[in-house]
Amino acid sequence: MANGYSIFVGLVVIVALCLAAWFFSPKGENQVLWRSSLILTFVSCYLMWAITFLAQLHPLIEPRRSDLRKEFLNH
Amino acid sequence: MAPARDTPFRSAEMSMVQLYISNEIGREVVNALGELGLVQFRDLNGDISAFQRAFTQDIRRLDNVERQLRYFHAQMEKAGIPLRKIDLDVNTLAAPTTTEIDELAEKSQSLEQRVSSLNESYETLKKREVELTEWRWVLREAGGFFDRAHGNVDEIRASTDNDDAPLLADVEHNHSAPDVERSFSGMNIGFVAGVIARDRVAAFERILWRTLRGNLYMNQAEIPEPLIDPTNNEPVQKNVFVIFAHGKEILAKIRKISESMGAEVYNVDENSDLRRDQVHEVNARLNDVQNVLRNTQQTLEAELTQISRSVAAWMVLIGKEKAVYNTLNNFSYDRARRTLIAEGWCPTHDLSLIRSTLQDVTNRAGLSVPSIINEIRTNKQPPTYLKTNKFTEAFQTIVNAYGTATYQEVNPAIPVIVTFPFLFAVMFGDFGHACIMLAASLAMIYWEKPLKKVTFELFAMVYYGRYIALVMSVFSIYTGLIYNDVFSKSMTLFDSQWRWKVPENWQHGMSVEAELAEPNGYRYPFGLDWRWHDAENDLLFSNSYKMKMSIILGWAHMTYSLCFSYINARHFKKPIDIWGNFVPGMIFFQSIFGYLVGCIIYKWTVDWKGTGQSPPGLLNMLIYMFLQPGTLDMQLYRGQATVQVILLLLAFTQVPVLLFLKPFYLRWEHNRARAKGYRGIGERSRVSALDDDDGDDNGHAAGGRASEDEGVAMITQDLGDEEHEEFEFGEVMIHQVIHTIEFCLNCVSHTASYLRLWALSLAHQQLSAVLWSMTIGPALATTGIGGAIYIVVTFTMFFVLSCIILIVMEGVSAMLHSLRLAWVESFSKFAEFGGWAFAPFSFQAQIEESEELKEYLG
Repeated sequence: MANGYSIFVGLVVIVALCLAAWFFSPKGENQVLWRSSLILTFVSCYLMWAITFLAQLHPLIEPRRSDLRKEFLNH
Repeated sequence: MAPARDTPFRSAEMSMVQLYISNEIGREVVNALGELGLVQFRDLNGDISAFQRAFTQDIRRLDNVERQLRYFHAQMEKAGIPLRKIDLDVNTLAAPTTTEIDELAEKSQSLEQRVSSLNESYETLKKREVELTEWRWVLREAGGFFDRAHGNVDEIRASTDNDDAPLLADVEHNHSAPDVERSFSGMNIGFVAGVIARDRVAAFERILWRTLRGNLYMNQAEIPEPLIDPTNNEPVQKNVFVIFAHGKEILAKIRKISESMGAEVYNVDENSDLRRDQVHEVNARLNDVQNVLRNTQQTLEAELTQISRSVAAWMVLIGKEKAVYNTLNNFSYDRARRTLIAEGWCPTHDLSLIRSTLQDVTNRAGLSVPSIINEIRTNKQPPTYLKTNKFTEAFQTIVNAYGTATYQEVNPAIPVIVTFPFLFAVMFGDFGHACIMLAASLAMIYWEKPLKKVTFELFAMVYYGRYIALVMSVFSIYTGLIYNDVFSKSMTLFDSQWRWKVPENWQHGMSVEAELAEPNGYRYPFGLDWRWHDAENDLLFSNSYKMKMSIILGWAHMTYSLCFSYINARHFKKPIDIWGNFVPGMIFFQSIFGYLVGCIIYKWTVDWKGTGQSPPGLLNMLIYMFLQPGTLDMQLYRGQATVQVILLLLAFTQVPVLLFLKPFYLRWEHNRARAKGYRGIGERSRVSALDDDDGDDNGHAAGGRASEDEGVAMITQDLGDEEHEEFEFGEVMIHQVIHTIEFCLNCVSHTASYLRLWALSLAHQQLSAVLWSMTIGPALATTGIGGAIYIVVTFTMFFVLSCIILIVMEGVSAMLHSLRLAWVESFSKFAEFGGWAFAPFSFQAQIEESEELKEYLG
């Protein structure tokens, strides 16, 4: 489901959303406000998600615990 | 191409306008413009002192009315009559005519007289009442003394009067003269009776004792109820005293002393019948006085209640009227043509609105002479006018707190609307805390109107930023989901990418490591994998992740901000700012920090375990890139050394470009202009009062030419003070050197500064984890009734502390850090902040700002 290509899928989704924001922003003197805010929001959120995803894509260390209970071992 | 309308993207286009208004309608025009609130008038009478201006008389008169209204208010407060406040959102006040204002002035004048005369008579009556009450007390108390004293009068008499009487005679004497008038006067003893404040009694006694050398007999009694001092309406505790002494002179002395001590001396007859009459008389008079007093007070209260209904509205009207005359005082008055000339700034796109307002006023007044509005050209820098709405207002305030943007440069508030709350959220990321914050901000927005009236300052501040709080909390919900934190606990929204690698002989307490469930397939799709939560090496992973994220977000934020400097240079048509500042700056920044970000991302995409190589440390890489260009500590990719050398050279070659290109280009341009024979405009300003493109009012312009000439003279003279910028190479060079050094050093320090994102989000997460483990965490393991109570108590603690420490305190701290990132790290990349704010003449703004009117507004 979610592997390395997700980054690009996400990018496509974000570009589509940005385009939608550009074209469907309400007209008027606040149009520029709508466009800039929406696009900036999408891009920032994408950045954050992508960074988090990439950081876990090829992890260098693994989680380690010694306080596990038996019933959670295979959970 | 100028935009058709002013947008929030940059400050509104402004025009300097000149208004020619007929003297008769000056007041009405200014009134209408004040309601409109779009013109900032310039003071054209700077050289005339405030007293010599044309409308000072009117202002004085209004000041007087205002004083009277304040007097009414003070009287109302004294009488305890509530003021009916005026709510300008509900009822608007129509602009008053001059006659209405005159009537108001007259009315308040007569009301003042009435109120003050009522007050005066009330005060005299009150004084009279107090006197009578005191007298009554004196009569009562002194009567008590006398009655007690009469019982032993004979003893006194026997011992004082008749020194040579036989000792046994008194018994006899008593018997023989039972009808002798039992009187003090017979003994030549006089007395003084009066009332004195209780705190003075001791001093009074001492003084009397010393001056009379003890030749007195003083008797006193406390008046149980406090008496009201009519001068200041304060209750005073008083004592009644009766002093008996021997001899007229001594009595006169006593009288004098008591007067000088502030005591009231009352006439008391020693004959008990007369005294009874006196008491009756006093009582009757007191009754009368009280009746009259009650009537006076009722009339006064009725009068004040009547006034209280409208005093707030009057206050607002007078305040507006005063503002109008103050503005009119800024106009220059042409006596010959009976015309007022005004000058001011207004948004260019609102000119037509102002024009039609003027037209309206002129038509309503039925004047044949039209009011004229002319746009004039000036080389003065126009004010910065950034229109806001309910949503952007608070964001704009944040930006304006740092400085006023230069006229027409990109409004720094535009990116701030998203970046400020987003960077806040990166530090505040916790789903639970964000939800509480969201609920609070939504509540403030839902009950917007009723909450607007709350005057508690701390709340008013939060309320003012309610939309910021809304955006901040929405972003925090997002980052909370990304960090997978809800009150420091994790959410298992998706399957983990990890699986515990359980050894065969596992026992409880043994350390277990995880492995990827699908080494080349499934990854946790949204946010941080919950397996990391509570892992032993959780911080090892999240620190590396958050640190890198801070650098990437900081790089993105700064690059984005730097791009605005390109837009600014384009808008101001300064290509040299693009080639001399923006491009070299961008190359410098990208070849160092852009490269770092690229490396971070590249390192993440490589499957180091799969290739079997050990991953290089990026920090070391960056350090070696500077210290030993060309050599590598550990290789990240092939050809890395060459790329790094090229990038380093690229970055360092930008420094001289940054340093020298702009100053030398400016000098070359200046010299070229000189060579062609152009000279600096010097002190003369390019001002023309005539509308060059002669629009709609051609005829009027011809008519008003003579006075316009005067206007021009005035303006040129006025603007003369503004120094013309002489080109000085040294100054430009120094400026550029500072800019270069600052920019290059800031690239490093600002990038490092973004690490606060990591530090604060770490602190927030750890703090909430600690709070959980210290309050509700251990309580959840308990059982039974005690456990239930324990849970309730610890939950309350957990919730309250969560709100106070983690939401309010941490929120404020994250907000301040985010504010700094906006102000320093972002704004320094593009904004000049060299403007001055547009402050139009507006009744609304004036009423909002006025401290005095605040208590009259509901």
